[in-house]
Amino acid sequence: MTLYCLGIEGTAHSFGAGVVTSEGKVLSNEWDMLKPAQGGIHPREASRHHSELGPGIIKEAVKKAGLDFHEINLIAFSQGPGLGPCLRTTATIARTLSLKLETPLVGVNHCVAHIEIGCLESNFNDPVTVYVSGGNTQIIAFAGGRFRTFGETLDIAIGNMLDVLGRELGMGFPSGPIVEEEAKNGRQYHSLPYSVKGMDLSYSGMLTAAKKLHSEGVPIPDICFSVQETSFGMLAEIAERAIAHTKKNELLLTGGVARNNRLTEILSGVAERHDARFHRVSPSLAGDQGAMIAWNGILQYNTGHETKVENSHVLPKWRTDDQDILWR
Amino acid sequence: MKQVLAKGAESIIYKVEQWGLPLVLKWRQGKSYLLKDIDSQLRKSRTSRECKMLTVSRTLGVPTPAVYSVDLNKHIITMDFISGTQFKQLAGQIPRSNLISLSYGFGKLIATLHEGDVVHGDPTTSNVIIDDKSRMWIIDFGLSEMNATTEMKGVDLHLIHRALETTHWDLQETMLDATLEGYVEVLGNTAELTLSRMKEIRERGRYH
Repeated sequence: MTLYCLGIEGTAHSFGAGVVTSEGKVLSNEWDMLKPAQGGIHPREASRHHSELGPGIIKEAVKKAGLDFHEINLIAFSQGPGLGPCLRTTATIARTLSLKLETPLVGVNHCVAHIEIGCLESNFNDPVTVYVSGGNTQIIAFAGGRFRTFGETLDIAIGNMLDVLGRELGMGFPSGPIVEEEAKNGRQYHSLPYSVKGMDLSYSGMLTAAKKLHSEGVPIPDICFSVQETSFGMLAEIAERAIAHTKKNELLLTGGVARNNRLTEILSGVAERHDARFHRVSPSLAGDQGAMIAWNGILQYNTGHETKVENSHVLPKWRTDDQDILWR
Repeated sequence: MKQVLAKGAESIIYKVEQWGLPLVLKWRQGKSYLLKDIDSQLRKSRTSRECKMLTVSRTLGVPTPAVYSVDLNKHIITMDFISGTQFKQLAGQIPRSNLISLSYGFGKLIATLHEGDVVHGDPTTSNVIIDDKSRMWIIDFGLSEMNATTEMKGVDLHLIHRALETTHWDLQETMLDATLEGYVEVLGNTAELTLSRMKEIRERGRYH
């Protein structure tokens, strides 16, 4: 029998809902992202965004899937990691739906869900995953029953770095796409701190140096170009180290920053050098959205995992490698 | 005759025969997908850094392959071939007592580097070789640095922790405990500062 799972995502500034079948068909995937007029994301404002827009987004997702609420067999939600207020709002909505519809509830790890939806789309079995977003920069691979973080940022995430730079350069939020556009017109490379430590990296020194270039009057396209080439080069190196180390032959790029074409180009070069297959998760499944939560919910539920309401407290610091992956 | 020993993240390692000796040739190949400025700068600086740090580390008392020649334009280092097995491969196949003494020895070598204000930069078990006479060698100094601060040493220890939890997940506690014991054995009370920095760094990168 086909299961219909409603997945609800709300770990940070995006709220999403999607319906996925147990055969892995994405029937709908609706979301909305909070765009602060200025400054960064305030957790309280983001959670208010979720509680205001969440119910409408969920209704739309179920409707677009061509279903009635009573045809939903399973509710999955992003239990962590993320911003506490956002997680709590999302969890409250999920619990309420589960109780009201008398449907099992499954708490999903947001980072694991990013990987699994990527595997679903690419048909990859066992990739090295480069997961890059506003809050995360991780190189993850499966080993010994868990997704293990082989490398990550020692300070700020790549998306966050791009946003902070963008704010400095007077760009809107999110800055990543604007930085990418500007970089296309960059001609002059300015050397920036390149900081790789084993399979970890650090972006804060580079960010400071890039801000300094701006104060020295270096044209914005050149700054964007230099920042992209340096930060993506570092990411390529740690991905490459992970591939060489694990000897895996698939490379998956996911998360919001996966939308960047230059990053995609660099990482596909890495994969080619190591005779690995490469896949960039398509934009609609790369960012934070409900379909990935729904699909992961199905994988978990099929291995007998159900989250009772009394155990459904949110896990703001839930590590990728803290969960036993029973379905693999 | 060139035999490919390994294709690493930033180089290809060949085994060659020269002057009647088995030697290793490490070639940092160009990468077309990187910006040329960055690629050539990295290849050059890491080749020269590796040569220097192999020697500096040996001076401190850490066994490392001796360098025979270097070509900074072609980014090639020719060095000793160490006949042995990577600690990474050995770890799962040896009795617990051997594993503990090897990890302990590894910790002592890292501490010896740190004592001389040198960090390795990529202290994984792939970069530790146990030779046929059970002697331990440290290789791959392309990310190594001198004049290391507490922060840099803390990162080095953090990377050991990271390597153990990803690659030796079933043995990580035994290995980490023994490694840090060896580390403290060499550095005594001065290890304290670096150890607490390691924990701090580990928390820093985590999603909050």
